[in-house]
Amino acid sequence: MDIKNLFSISERVTHRPLPNNPAAGVWKSWERTAVIRFARIAFVMCLAIGLRLWGLNQIGFNTDEAVYSGQAAAIAQAPILKDIFPVFRAHPLLFQFSLALLFNFGVSDLTARLLAVAIGVATVYVVYCLGSLLYGEDAGILAALIMAVMPYHVTVTRQVLLDGPMVLFSTLTLYLLARYALTERPVWLHAVGIGMGLTFLAKETGIILIGAVYAFFALASEINVRIRDLALSLVLMVAMMLPFPLSLILAGGSKVGGQYLVWQLFRRPNHTWDFYLTTVPVAIGILVIIIALLGLWLLRKQNTWREKLLVWWILVPVVFFQIWPTKGFQYLLPIAPALAVLAGRMLTHWSAIEPSSRSNHSRNSVWISALVGGIMILNLFAVSWQTIQPGTSGTFLAGTGGVPGGREAGQWIQQNIPANATLLTIGPSMANILEFYGYRKAYGISVSPNPLHRNPSYEPINNPNLVIRTNDIQYLVWDSYSAERSAFFSERLLALAARFNGRVIHTESVLVTSEDGTQIAKPVIVIYMVHP
Amino acid sequence: MMFLKKITPLFFLFTLLLSTSHVGSVSASRFAGETSTPIEHLVVVMQQNHTFDNYFGTYPEANGIPANTCLAVSLSNGPDTPCISPFNIGSYPVTDLSHSASTFQAQYQNGKMNGFVGALNKLNQDGKLTMAYFDDRDIPFYWNLADQYVLFDNYFSSAHTGSIMNRMFSITGQSGGEENRIPVEGFVDIPTIFDRLQERGISWKYYIRDYNPEFNYRALRELDYLPPQIQWVPLLSMDRFLDDPELSSHIVDFSEYYTDLQNGTLPAVSYVLLLGATEHPVSDPQLGQITTRTMIQTLMQSDVWKSSALLITFDDWGGWYDHVSPPQVDKYGYGFRVPAMLVSAYARQGYIDHTQLDHTSLLKFIESNWDIEPLAQRDAQANNLTSAFDFSSAPRDPVFISALREVPEARLEPRRVVIYIAYGSAMLFALIILLRAHRKDNLQSLPRPMDLSEETRPS
Repeated sequence: MDIKNLFSISERVTHRPLPNNPAAGVWKSWERTAVIRFARIAFVMCLAIGLRLWGLNQIGFNTDEAVYSGQAAAIAQAPILKDIFPVFRAHPLLFQFSLALLFNFGVSDLTARLLAVAIGVATVYVVYCLGSLLYGEDAGILAALIMAVMPYHVTVTRQVLLDGPMVLFSTLTLYLLARYALTERPVWLHAVGIGMGLTFLAKETGIILIGAVYAFFALASEINVRIRDLALSLVLMVAMMLPFPLSLILAGGSKVGGQYLVWQLFRRPNHTWDFYLTTVPVAIGILVIIIALLGLWLLRKQNTWREKLLVWWILVPVVFFQIWPTKGFQYLLPIAPALAVLAGRMLTHWSAIEPSSRSNHSRNSVWISALVGGIMILNLFAVSWQTIQPGTSGTFLAGTGGVPGGREAGQWIQQNIPANATLLTIGPSMANILEFYGYRKAYGISVSPNPLHRNPSYEPINNPNLVIRTNDIQYLVWDSYSAERSAFFSERLLALAARFNGRVIHTESVLVTSEDGTQIAKPVIVIYMVHP
Repeated sequence: MMFLKKITPLFFLFTLLLSTSHVGSVSASRFAGETSTPIEHLVVVMQQNHTFDNYFGTYPEANGIPANTCLAVSLSNGPDTPCISPFNIGSYPVTDLSHSASTFQAQYQNGKMNGFVGALNKLNQDGKLTMAYFDDRDIPFYWNLADQYVLFDNYFSSAHTGSIMNRMFSITGQSGGEENRIPVEGFVDIPTIFDRLQERGISWKYYIRDYNPEFNYRALRELDYLPPQIQWVPLLSMDRFLDDPELSSHIVDFSEYYTDLQNGTLPAVSYVLLLGATEHPVSDPQLGQITTRTMIQTLMQSDVWKSSALLITFDDWGGWYDHVSPPQVDKYGYGFRVPAMLVSAYARQGYIDHTQLDHTSLLKFIESNWDIEPLAQRDAQANNLTSAFDFSSAPRDPVFISALREVPEARLEPRRVVIYIAYGSAMLFALIILLRAHRKDNLQSLPRPMDLSEETRPS
């Protein structure tokens, strides 16, 4: 089958035969096409913005958001926060740098999240461009619509995480790569190098997508690549990456990077092997995955380099992060745009599947694809809508949203306990949140004294008894989220509170749904004052 | 009836006059507990045995050790006598230097202040040690405290002898006897500030760390040593404070200081003896710093911070060098200067107070603040602590004072400009390359996706 037969409904609508008056007809046709195109993309973008903004700041930061915003505040020289949060941690600073530009006008969690949302919405638009480029306007719109309402992307881009920016740039890179494959103009290959560099600067793990690029060029024999252009592209990529090592070296901090690498390489797994299998498909949408895979199978006769490109873009991160001991909910987000495009392709090219009676089949396929697409989008929207509502379970999975009560506890600390006071929490996660909102130094009791077993950013408290006895730590903070993860350190903290005359001075509660369905106030954060 | 009608207005007039005169008498004398300043709680922590020069002799802007100070090693003080200059104590072993009345006189040298080394050498002690001083390396918390609150550099011990007499002055305004010792029959009929507070119904407590209620002056008959608690708490040598539960119940263990702060029951006046952490040589000053820091921080955490003042001072000089000749106001003193610091929400910030003070200035402040008559001539004539306060400003918010003097080692961080330039340049560079790619690519010639077939791609 000729690829021209793969036109979508809209393409056929927008490419009607020219009327008699060529000039007027072209104008009218263009005008109508442009209006329809604009209306459709505007609708998708509005949906993307709406889902990402709805109740955006009703719950405060989680630990990663607090850390990245803290870094940005440190770069922007925000008082107190610059002394609490180090500029350098594990990751490059492109997003933090961008956020710091905004933080120069004042540090605010809402500002940070708005920037994350803007990046998420931009990604939806790039997915639209990518889908349109590969499979036509309709596929692009549908892919963008899937991304706009996909719970995985919605959840992550409502948070101040590096994965959102990384996916923006990785999707841009994918688009540039597709553009090169289409035209084979070297300038697009050079641009791919720039895109990869930006992806790395957003989050260093994005570098693994080089594997996808390599596999694509190696296995898509129809794409010609000149070594000279590839080399130049690599040079440009390296040049783009330079700010990360450069700023480290200029600060004499190359050791810091080394420490993080060692820690990442040797740290113990934080989740079981089936973590991604149980969390990610649901977040992406089971239907999306099924439709994308079905498309690959049913439309296999039409498969070209496009599918190779998208499949490798999915396979490489999945395999890598499945093997990598450290797992995170949001780590597989770069595969989402490729899946969305593949699903969009399937739904808009349904008519290409083994037509028996051409006219009937075409009509039916439109209805079927519309029905399946509608169910899928509604399902994604419903799950996203559910996801962005405040949690009522009192539990928390890193990367899935804010931590209820954390901001309120931090703000209470800022207003009610003396400046320069020091806190001890169960783990560093709550410590980060309280540091950002409370403007007070906090340590996690679970941070290992063994440098190989801890994030180099975290300082351990080797002898909690001693530091409380010398009154270097004056407050203990227990939280249900950390306690659930580590009963041992929870008990240890409570034992310290009992030993050192701990007195509850503040409790943060959230409304949770109990087993019998009633709503009860569950204490999630308890602050103790201690003294020898 | 006519008579009744005539006297009724007179009765009312009389009643009115009576009630007016009653109001007048109440307003003339303040209600018990009412204060003349915003300070409703005073905490006095009396530590031991250091001079001002010993702790703050090198503190900037204070009346510290003069340049070129060098004290002769013997009391003969001839022109060829070697001399010892002040030096940082570092790891020099601290010993308990003689600080008796006779040692004072030998060191005082009738105001010449040049017998410090020689007096100790004469007693076969290491006289050199008297010239040692602590600085911010050794007592960082106290120096930080002085930076943020008030340091008194003209505060003298009340008596030129040891702890007992100085502590008597601090609660009675009197020496309690001719010698620095506890009489066999205890201190009899000497009114204390606590008697006055009790009479007025103003709350007070004497907190003693590791308090042992069994130890008082009566136990000395059976003991072959003088327990520090008895030596340093004169109330334990006064019968009424031992036998009258109304009074003795106010002498409590130090742990109650924290519970009182938690419960909002901190008394109006508190005296504190930190047994085991009084900094009395050979005790390590760190112990005193840790405990006083905890006390101050807990006070800051409490509801009474904005109505409290905490004063840290030292009972006597402990044999250490100080360069200021103490004024002799009577036959008992003053003794040499001792360190003193005031912490309060109303204390002036980073202020060195040069007002001449001694332990009876504490009594002066209590008496003026709670409207109490002076106990004795000393406290009647003493200067008040009020110059250290600024009651015209709003109370300061509590800020914990670091126990470290040094600025923490600078974190390994780039100058922010490096980050801005590096990442800003990268973004700009990316933008240029992408725009260039867009411009270079002839969009008109770019086949639309639907027109693309594998054959139409340029080879």
